[in-house]
Amino acid sequence: MNAEQPRKRVREGWLSDRLGWGGISTALAKHRAPRRGFVFYLGGITLFLLLVQVLSGVLLVLYYKPDSTNAHASVERIVGEIPYGDLIRGVHVWASDFFVACLVAHLFTIVIRRSYKPPHELTWLSGLVSLVIGIGMAFTGAILPWSQKAYAQARVGSEIAHNIPLIGGWMHRLLRGGQEVTSNTLSNAYGFHVAVLPATVTLLVGLHLFFLSRKPAPVPVSEQVVDEEPGAQGEADAAKAPAAPVDDDDTIPLYPDFLYRQAVAWVGVLVAVLTLAIFADRPLGEAADPRLSSTGAQPPWYFLPFHQIIRSSPRELLGIDGAKFIVGATCFLGALVVALPFLDRKGSKLMAWAGWIVLFVLFLLATSALS
Amino acid sequence: MAAVAMSPARAVPPEGAASTSASASASVSASASASASGSSSENPADWGPQGRVLPPSMDATNSCVTCHATLTDQKLRAPAKEFVTSVHRDDRIGCAGCHHGDPRDPTVGAHKSEGFLPHPTHAEVPGVCGSCHSDAGFMRHLNSRLPVGQAALYNLSLHGKLTAAGDENAPACADCHGKHDILGPSSPKSPVNRANVSTLCGGCHGDGKRMAKYGLRTDQASKWEKSVHGQAFKRGNPNAPTCTGCHGAHAATPPEASSVGRACGRCHEEELAYFDMGPHSKGFRKRGLAECVACHSNHDVQPASSLMVGTTPDATCMKCHSKDEKPRKIADEIAGLLRGARGRAAEARAFVARAREEGLHVAGASFALDQIATAELKLRGVVHTLDPARLEGPVAAVDKAVAEARKLVDDAAQTRRVERRGYYVSLGIACVLFASLALKSLQLDRRRRGRS
Repeated sequence: MNAEQPRKRVREGWLSDRLGWGGISTALAKHRAPRRGFVFYLGGITLFLLLVQVLSGVLLVLYYKPDSTNAHASVERIVGEIPYGDLIRGVHVWASDFFVACLVAHLFTIVIRRSYKPPHELTWLSGLVSLVIGIGMAFTGAILPWSQKAYAQARVGSEIAHNIPLIGGWMHRLLRGGQEVTSNTLSNAYGFHVAVLPATVTLLVGLHLFFLSRKPAPVPVSEQVVDEEPGAQGEADAAKAPAAPVDDDDTIPLYPDFLYRQAVAWVGVLVAVLTLAIFADRPLGEAADPRLSSTGAQPPWYFLPFHQIIRSSPRELLGIDGAKFIVGATCFLGALVVALPFLDRKGSKLMAWAGWIVLFVLFLLATSALS
Repeated sequence: MAAVAMSPARAVPPEGAASTSASASASVSASASASASGSSSENPADWGPQGRVLPPSMDATNSCVTCHATLTDQKLRAPAKEFVTSVHRDDRIGCAGCHHGDPRDPTVGAHKSEGFLPHPTHAEVPGVCGSCHSDAGFMRHLNSRLPVGQAALYNLSLHGKLTAAGDENAPACADCHGKHDILGPSSPKSPVNRANVSTLCGGCHGDGKRMAKYGLRTDQASKWEKSVHGQAFKRGNPNAPTCTGCHGAHAATPPEASSVGRACGRCHEEELAYFDMGPHSKGFRKRGLAECVACHSNHDVQPASSLMVGTTPDATCMKCHSKDEKPRKIADEIAGLLRGARGRAAEARAFVARAREEGLHVAGASFALDQIATAELKLRGVVHTLDPARLEGPVAAVDKAVAEARKLVDDAAQTRRVERRGYYVSLGIACVLFASLALKSLQLDRRRRGRS
């Protein structure tokens, strides 16, 4: 203990001199976070997975060749010849799946906990757009190996997009880079996957965190945010600022307790991703051959329930093409989800049904994916 | 096989091909003179190369087709209908190109012109066809890619000689190429298209009645189908020979014992060169044995196997040398070298395949396998020298290629082992970090609870 104290002082002194760390840690310590519940770590895990993907993706980009002639061979080279390329690709692919799963789980927990309610509309909207872009990143990434499976996924995915009301045709052309799945599809997917979407998602995640810092998420017992310098949040917020922090049984300080726990979750996820990347091979498959039939082709798993519903839907529903109807209905539901903070007002009966709607959607997705 | 069937209504054959050609040429000349006297021939642009007068243009009308297409007699109407798809349906050839007459005359008077040839006899056909196809200038004018030596080659062939001798069983041009509905050989429907050649030749050569007269076997086409060549052809190998690949097309002649090697050597050049270095070359020639055929057979040639060499009862060497001590010793020695090398090559191939199945990415494996195949090919060629000393080099080359392939696999496996160790170390570090953070978190929790 005696040896630890001077070391800590030196460390904190060194950091304080350079970063003003003492001030940061004190400020963070004043924020309170929920003590129980894994769901409160999902957002942080999602952010961590995004970081893992960016880092592994940068390494993959060094060797990947984004043209239909060389794409598959370059991924084969990454996996077969480049030292640790197999592991990097495995981490990237598994982290992508975890990322989408965490995004969706994060969304559901927010809906169930009704954390979107005012004044969290901006946090909610930035999160939703990040979710859509995150799925877009996973989808475009799945096309890049240009294997037969990737080719089929590009076809099926762009076909689903074609049914989106109003912008379906445009989306279809944008995704395919023309009318058919060709090398242009690969070029477009590459551009979106490594530049457009990551840049956008970084901006949105930044905004999401900024909004969250201004209006922290509600914790189970009470709003336990304390700011001893009200000027930082503005006069209006200062007026509403709660009293001194309460070290109760339901909350813990954001620093160091919550952040340490978050770090445990991050490293736990990293261990899971590494384990899967090492022991659960994700076969690359044969190179894409447009002459081969894509019958029975399936989209990525996160589109699978949706794809199955479209496949099993009648040709026509209420006089509208079955696929267009399903996609249109989903878009309508999506619009309702976007508008949740504005619909879920005091006295609104909507949320009395929200739990049932979420359960029904989950049931529908699960049964469709298994069918 | 309509194109192969001989017309029963052929006229009595002429005395010889030479006279046929002469008469055909004469008739063409006559026609040329007749046409030249017409108004169209006054325009120099209508004159073909070497003074040949082209038939009058049929852009506007070809009264032959116009008239014959309306006739009720099927025999007279059919040619007009068939001609629609013919490669000869060209303004510069037309019906008059072979039959002469005047296609501008819409009456039966068209037949009255000098040289009119309504029914060329079997023996006249090569002359009629050759009158254009042997004229280099004219053919260049029509289609510069077409060869012009077919008629000369045909006259040298056994088919040509028999036709000239009046044998209607022997095929003339029309029997292979068709008559009024002739298609270019690149057309899949053409009987002389590469894909149809074995059926075309087999149509006559598989006919027992027709071949009885010549004492020829009739199983060549069926044997070829089962042979290594036929099977390769079936798989779409563009280099696999059909009948014409060995026998020639227009100059079709059965290779004699002394020339079989030349026929095979057109493709198997290296094997032939090594064979000529060996003792069999002189020996076979002396005894009149057909070079390659003596060991490999001809139409039913099977994939060459290392089992052909040696002293086992099935070995080809034992057909002649079962009791000769020195050749038996050489055969044993060659068999040992050959089988050993090929066995090691097969093991290396299996080794690479197994590694690939296990998900090991062996960089350069395809090149290494190609190297083995090339070295084996060389070895298979050198075997024809029947000199064990000469085999040592190629065997060493096979062994070197095999060793390189194995080294590539071993290196890849070693790299993977090292990489896997790195993976486990990374995972271990992550686990240790996880445990440390978890402990720290628990410690913080305990401290906080202690404070509260």
